[in-house]
Amino acid sequence: MVNEELPEGVFLRGFRLGKLGVSLTGSYLGYQIQNLFLHGEKKLEKGRSFRHGASRQLRKELERLKGPVMKLGQILSTQTQTFSDETIRELAKLQMQAPGMHPTLARAQFKSSCGKYPEEVFRVFEPEPFAAASLGQVHRAITKHGEKVAVKIQYPAIREAMENDFKLLRSAMLPGRITGHFPVAIVDEIQRGFSEETDYLKEAANLDFFRERLALFSYLAIPAVHRDLTTDRVLTMSFIEGAPAPDFLASNPSQSVRDLIGSRLLELYYFQVQQVQALHADHHPGNYLFKPDGQIGLVDFGCVKRLSFDVAELSRCCVARSWKQGKAQAEHVIRLIWGKQVPFKQARDMLSSVEEGVDVLFPMKTGAAAIVDFGKPDLLKIFGRNLRQVLRHKLTNPEFAFLSRAELGLYGLLHQLKSRVNTLEVWEGIVEPRQRRKT
Amino acid sequence: MSFLNMRKKSGPAHKKAKPGRQKTASRRKEKKEHTKAEILAAALQLFQTKGVGNTTAKEIATKAGIAEGTFFNYFPTKEDLALYFFQKGIDDLIQWYDRQGSLKQAPIEEKLFAIIHRQLEQLKPYEDFIGSVFFRSLEPRSKLNALSFESQENRLRYLRFIDGLLKEAIQRGEIPDVGRLGAYGVGLFYMGIVTFWLHDMSHGKQKTLALLDRSLVVATRFLRKGGWEWK
Repeated sequence: MVNEELPEGVFLRGFRLGKLGVSLTGSYLGYQIQNLFLHGEKKLEKGRSFRHGASRQLRKELERLKGPVMKLGQILSTQTQTFSDETIRELAKLQMQAPGMHPTLARAQFKSSCGKYPEEVFRVFEPEPFAAASLGQVHRAITKHGEKVAVKIQYPAIREAMENDFKLLRSAMLPGRITGHFPVAIVDEIQRGFSEETDYLKEAANLDFFRERLALFSYLAIPAVHRDLTTDRVLTMSFIEGAPAPDFLASNPSQSVRDLIGSRLLELYYFQVQQVQALHADHHPGNYLFKPDGQIGLVDFGCVKRLSFDVAELSRCCVARSWKQGKAQAEHVIRLIWGKQVPFKQARDMLSSVEEGVDVLFPMKTGAAAIVDFGKPDLLKIFGRNLRQVLRHKLTNPEFAFLSRAELGLYGLLHQLKSRVNTLEVWEGIVEPRQRRKT
Repeated sequence: MSFLNMRKKSGPAHKKAKPGRQKTASRRKEKKEHTKAEILAAALQLFQTKGVGNTTAKEIATKAGIAEGTFFNYFPTKEDLALYFFQKGIDDLIQWYDRQGSLKQAPIEEKLFAIIHRQLEQLKPYEDFIGSVFFRSLEPRSKLNALSFESQENRLRYLRFIDGLLKEAIQRGEIPDVGRLGAYGVGLFYMGIVTFWLHDMSHGKQKTLALLDRSLVVATRFLRKGGWEWK
């Protein structure tokens, strides 16, 4: 599809290929652009299925929060006039994906990182990956002791490529920085998140941390790390059974299971925000593994947000709509969200938009009316509108970049699940800790 | 002198003993090959520990358990040693490829990746040696120079091997007919990759892996689309 739009002239085609060559290894965006050309047909197919899916709204909103690559892609496309409209649209769909690795490359990359070939350290190693991961792919394997494991292998030199992109991004964003529409702190925050995501040793530490802190949820499974077979570019962990969210949905689960999983996902989210002060921030549907009995597996802890501001207090204020109680309370909430420097009036206007979202998420009703139907797109629409408003009024807060990504991702997943949840009940269960049900 | 005499004695008069003579000749050839391999192994070991510049012919000879003069009989210069190193490398590469099962069914870009990666893995322990050899080969009078008479045999074996792989891919309809240029192209590409690899300071030569993979994927895609006749 993209190929068909290539210009006819030999010179222009050569120019494009030259550009492609330049970006061969120096840029993560380069990989993405190559993917556009190499897998054009696949992408079109994906695009079609997306349009038919219920996740259209989710995708539209998520695109606004995606990494530097997409932003850089947009900037490049508007500045150089090189790409066609179709390509720009494709660039906007980009996610944290690396090029696929054929078995020989995956094997070579494993050796480059671990010093030995996979067949030397595993009893069985499947050369073909079973899942794509952020910036790499995951292979099934069996250790010499007979344990089933998942081996995540990162595409070579992707970190260096992303660092280059951020350098470019910083220069390209100079106008936005001057006008204040894009504070440098946001880029710092995004870069911090993405560079953590490329270090699998950090992910291994995250896995250990969350396994310990979320151990009381017996319905939750988080992979255990095999430290002896883990480096910054290869992550070996126990294999978690279950169907990824899209496959699970395709199996047409009953409404009661959808509701059960929905309330558990919310419980986990509130618990992380309130009690752990850190959260799994990559709510890609493929990162959730579900079983028909409502058990949940959570994988891919590359993107984790540690909360440095009092989000617990903020959540409490939101649920209670405390800003309605007077100017002082409103100021308190505004400071919690944006700090002291924010223009009060604009922030005050923003609160009414926030309230709109809170009304949908925590309806002040009882009985059946208190149950939130995530199958309706209301919440996502409001969320998306709020994000646009935040950008327009320059009310961006770097702390929220990943938090919003996590929250929006979660609501998107619940929307796909069409879960119906008594959110207030789940919330109160977390705020007022009680003996958790063991399943 | 005595060596020549011996040859004269065992001349045409002893034609009837041909099988025995052949056996002796092949044994002698085997022994010669064995000594050469021993010298190379000793040299490479010393290059690894002491560096190419600090290793003398005497040290290599001592380590290989031969006289210094014998060393020069086999390898008059270090360049001859390097040529032998590359010859063994190609032997190993072709034998290794013959043993590969699933790789033979893989697409051409993966095959070429595997082959070049295998070559880089061969070179890896001797980076210092390869570095000095590589830059020596740029000198017009060097035996290692791509145009030198001495290097042609190795070069042709490599080109024929690659040519065979490309022909297979052409027959299978993977890529259009690229003729002999294809093998030359891969040969040049390999030289480029080695240069990049020598300069690659990234951990585990990550950048080389990425460059190798992306170049091959893009190049084969380009060829499949019909090269400049891209439609």
